[in-house]
Amino acid sequence: MSNKSKQVPTVAYSESAIRNNLSITEYCRTSMAALSGCTAGLLGLTSLHGALFYIMAVTTLWLMILYKAGFATWNKYFISRKSLLTSGIFGQLFTYILCWTFSYGMVHVY
Amino acid sequence: MSADLIVDTQIRVWVFLPIVVITFLVGIIRHYVSILLSSQKKVETQQFQDSQLILRSRLLRENAKYIPKAAFLSRRQVFNREEDGYLTQQRPAVTSSMMTDPSMMTDMVKGNLTNVLPMIVVGGWINWMFSGFITTKVPFPLTLRFKSMLQRGIELNHLDASWVSSASWYFLNVFGLRSIYALVLGENNAADQSRQMQDQMSGAAMAMPPDPKVAFKAEWEALEIVDHQWALADIESKLIGEEKVKTE
Repeated sequence: MSNKSKQVPTVAYSESAIRNNLSITEYCRTSMAALSGCTAGLLGLTSLHGALFYIMAVTTLWLMILYKAGFATWNKYFISRKSLLTSGIFGQLFTYILCWTFSYGMVHVY
Repeated sequence: MSADLIVDTQIRVWVFLPIVVITFLVGIIRHYVSILLSSQKKVETQQFQDSQLILRSRLLRENAKYIPKAAFLSRRQVFNREEDGYLTQQRPAVTSSMMTDPSMMTDMVKGNLTNVLPMIVVGGWINWMFSGFITTKVPFPLTLRFKSMLQRGIELNHLDASWVSSASWYFLNVFGLRSIYALVLGENNAADQSRQMQDQMSGAAMAMPPDPKVAFKAEWEALEIVDHQWALADIESKLIGEEKVKTE
């Protein structure tokens, strides 16, 4: 760690600002999970296709957030971009499954 | 789609949808009732002092590298001195006052009223009202283990595990709608959100564990083992170097 901090100038983060950023991305993530869940249900995706669709949606959102923050300047707003992706995958899985099941049930089961 | 079982469309209108709507609206009502019932918490001066102390010590710990070693050591000395340091002072136990404090009891009752009671009442009502329907099918295959989880209220051996009964659909909703509430209630009322933000900001200071001794002990330990590494050792040359670049 000390090696790294010598090469890269140390950056000090404002904790409340970081928390604010994370809570905003949390909102985005929930919306993404709900929307992509409904889309998957409407399209009638089943089993593995749905899971792949979810992973695709999460990755797309991640890229979009990085684009918004700027690909070169993302570390001004987030501490780690890897954790931005991984916490996105598992955090909203349940919301996605619920929306998926709901719209799939509404359209394709009956 | 894969119609090994045909479900009546009326079930969709009169069971499937109502459960979603009821769960969602009950959650929103619960949110507003809890706002209505919430009381401003009074914070004891002593408690507040304690939590601020811990915050200060944490700040010192995290930013130790930006102050000279002597300054860090003297600050740590103030916190950790053996006889009268901030973190080693003696405190009377708080637990006795907790039990006698009536406001704690009312808070607990209110918490039960807004969390547990609706769960039991609405859950029971839905179980009774919509019992025994097959409502939907999850769009992915599941193993037999999930049968008891997803098909509560239906005891059919031949039924595929991915069908969901009405009672289980309700529980799925209860757990799945949580983050949607955060979205809806967070966006609709800005006042509420800012209040929550405030809570979060001061949350570290407000939420104290009941016994300051334990927290003090942990903080004392953490502060003791901090290894001071000054990050600004060559700051002069750095500053001068940058100055040079600028002027040239």
